[in-house]
Amino acid sequence: MAKKPAGPQMFIANRLDDGRAVFLTANGEWTKVAADAAVGQTDEEVEALAVLAHGAEDANLVVSVTAIAADTEGNNLAPAHMKFAMQAKGPSVRLDLGYQVSPNWEQ
Amino acid sequence: MALVNLTGIQPTQYTELASDTSPAEGEVVLVPFDRLAEESEAFFQTVGRVGVLVGTETTFSALEPFANKISFVAIDFPAFGDGRGFSLAVRLRKDYGFKGEIRAVGNIIPDQAQFLMRAGFDSVEATEERKTAFETALKRFPSYYQTDAIGLGQRSVAHVRHSAKNDDNTDAADTAKEGQRKAS
Amino acid sequence: MYAYDTYDHAIVNARVEEFRDQVERRMKGELTEEEFRPLRLMNGLYLQLHAYMLRVAIPYGTLSSNQMRRLAHIARRYDKGYAHFTTRQNVQYNWPKLSETPDILQELADVEMHAIQTSGNCIRNTTTDQFAGAAADEVLDPRPYAELIRQWSTFHPEFSFLPRKFKIAITGADEDRAAVKWHDIGLVVKQSDTGEIGFEVLAGGGMGRTPVIGKVIRDFLPVSDLLSYLEAMLRVYNEQGRRDNKYKARIKILVDAMGADEYARQVEAEWAKIKDQPLDVPEEEVARIKAFFTPPPLPVLDNDVPTVNAFADKNFLFKAWVSNNTGAHKVPGHVHVTISLKPHGGIPGDATDAQMDLVADLADKYSLSEVRVSHEQNLILPHVAKKDLPALWEALDAAGLGSANAGLLTDIIACPGLDYCSLANARSIPLAQKLTERFDDVKRLMDIGPLKIKISGCINSCGHHHAGHIGILGVDRKGEENYQLLLGGSGAEDASKAAILGPGFDEGGIIDAIEKVVAVYLGEREDGEEFLPAYRRLGADVFKEAVYGAR
Ligand code: SF4
Repeated sequence: MAKKPAGPQMFIANRLDDGRAVFLTANGEWTKVAADAAVGQTDEEVEALAVLAHGAEDANLVVSVTAIAADTEGNNLAPAHMKFAMQAKGPSVRLDLGYQVSPNWEQ
Repeated sequence: MALVNLTGIQPTQYTELASDTSPAEGEVVLVPFDRLAEESEAFFQTVGRVGVLVGTETTFSALEPFANKISFVAIDFPAFGDGRGFSLAVRLRKDYGFKGEIRAVGNIIPDQAQFLMRAGFDSVEATEERKTAFETALKRFPSYYQTDAIGLGQRSVAHVRHSAKNDDNTDAADTAKEGQRKAS
Repeated sequence: MYAYDTYDHAIVNARVEEFRDQVERRMKGELTEEEFRPLRLMNGLYLQLHAYMLRVAIPYGTLSSNQMRRLAHIARRYDKGYAHFTTRQNVQYNWPKLSETPDILQELADVEMHAIQTSGNCIRNTTTDQFAGAAADEVLDPRPYAELIRQWSTFHPEFSFLPRKFKIAITGADEDRAAVKWHDIGLVVKQSDTGEIGFEVLAGGGMGRTPVIGKVIRDFLPVSDLLSYLEAMLRVYNEQGRRDNKYKARIKILVDAMGADEYARQVEAEWAKIKDQPLDVPEEEVARIKAFFTPPPLPVLDNDVPTVNAFADKNFLFKAWVSNNTGAHKVPGHVHVTISLKPHGGIPGDATDAQMDLVADLADKYSLSEVRVSHEQNLILPHVAKKDLPALWEALDAAGLGSANAGLLTDIIACPGLDYCSLANARSIPLAQKLTERFDDVKRLMDIGPLKIKISGCINSCGHHHAGHIGILGVDRKGEENYQLLLGGSGAEDASKAAILGPGFDEGGIIDAIEKVVAVYLGEREDGEEFLPAYRRLGADVFKEAVYGAR
């Protein structure tokens, strides 16, 4: 696993079948909406989320589980780093494809 | 652990020699390369049959002095992506004419079965659960694009295409079978 | 074009079945991701930022119209209606589902295509001149040899787990359009004084973190020895290439560390031991493969076509397109046509399913059903009669494929970058879009002349920035996208490494900087002098001063 970021954290992964980037929620589900993700503030909270996240990995629901820094300052909760923010929003090109218009868009 | 037989040889039954023990007279032992290099005379005088355990990092020429004395070789893969092990087996067969068993041990995946066989390995040490997967993978490809240079008799489809007795192109599986037979 | 026989079909079909089995085991959880990853990579399936990405090989860049139609069909049926042509004569789908990839591979196998070894530490798709078999300056068609290499390198038992990926390029023309000096192995087809065919062999070229231009290790290798010699080259690399550090694992590092002479010596020594083994294919096989690439039966026509000239006089864009996007063919009265996938404001290398279908139809109509793809991310119709150019251009232009910018500043190579790629540091595509919008004037572009801009979103250099006349490298500067500017690279026969000019820029800044670089060139150039020679003559300082101000 990548080195742990500091500060509030969220978990990102890709769904096994379509590879779609998803975020872990507090009840252990995976959402396409980064703003609905669970945020771990303390080490204990992050550890508890990690157990849920890796459980889903072991159950072959998601792959590539990663703890990432969460940006909790704006109105919307989002990944702090641009790469993960890109995963939350979809590509910044081909906006006609729908993925970026609504995070719930499905093929 | 289970043994996957790639070529139909009679697999060697051996004891892995612990570092502080000496082999009993007539015993068949697998000796780590470093120890064999240091104490070789002792081994070849007392023991029945000696095999050497080498890592993939071993330079093939280091095996030259032993190639006609040892009766089997185990090549240990630290990771299945460490392709040096394949070249090592090829070199043993090709450069030193080594005829004994070459076994792959360590980290190998079933999908490599045919590659191993074609590079001169006879057997693979695998977990029991993976044995079937290895055996399935061994039969996967009906023919090959390469001819071997190590006496297995595998002919590339390029050769098969133009050989007199195979002019109708129908039985691609022949090449594979031929390769396995000659190896055994 | 090469056509599969029963052996080729059997091997590729077996591969599809193998992958189907692997995917099923993965979906059922019998394979972990760790175990599955190398297996999917060997079939060109990556996991990127938003989805899986499937990379399909277009062996030596040659496609039939039917294969092109199948690529369009796959884009429509399994993806979001488009595909991306890459810098290695591959095509990538950005949104396939894992569970559907075996079906995609079967659809490809049915038209004699595959995704075998388009990733992983193995021998990748052999690339070549996109105008092979068509260009007037060609000495010999390299494709039969590329096909020989394709077959030999497919599922090689010894060389499927190399220290790192391995790329071979081959060219047979005076002008190097395949960037052979930038490849792990580069081959230049030669004919000796006695008429014998062979290759000049280069080794140890490569981009990435440590750009190196390949070195000649043998002046002339007879064609009948090609595969045994490659076998020796790969064996020495497989045994001695570094495996402790992935950034030092390419053959360029080995050749550099031991010296090209020593590498050549070891290869020759090994080759001497194996050259008499039946590693090379029989002569009949070379003849069989060559027969698929016999020159097409084109009639000799007049080079001067009054109707075309008349059309060009009325339509400047057509005239510009003919001048920039077509090139001399072996057969008089014909040209090869580059279909630019670089519309201004568009995504370099992307084509929609409808565009791919159209290109297939136009290939049937005007180019003996043949299409090529170039490492510069364009499509080519290799055999077009000059008289057909007006009709062809109108059909292309109506579909957004008529850009007259081949070889000009806006014919930009750009990798997928941070919009798709999980390794990226910065976006490449929006930069290419904005640059092409800034220079959206064909007259100005033609005045500037040949100028190759190449953009990579990270140091892996898929966008070949080291070989750009102007190269751009995306970096992550404290969490912000930042772009380094490099000048003076070349991927051609006069290969050179581009050098970093100075500190990096944000997106707006890099575009301004490029405009300044172009302005210096326009001001300083001598009569008819192109950008690259001008840069080489002037040196970096005058450009540095224009971009960063006097110190
Ligand atoms: S250069 Fe980097 S960002 Fe661009 S495609 Fe290659 S790996 Fe991805």
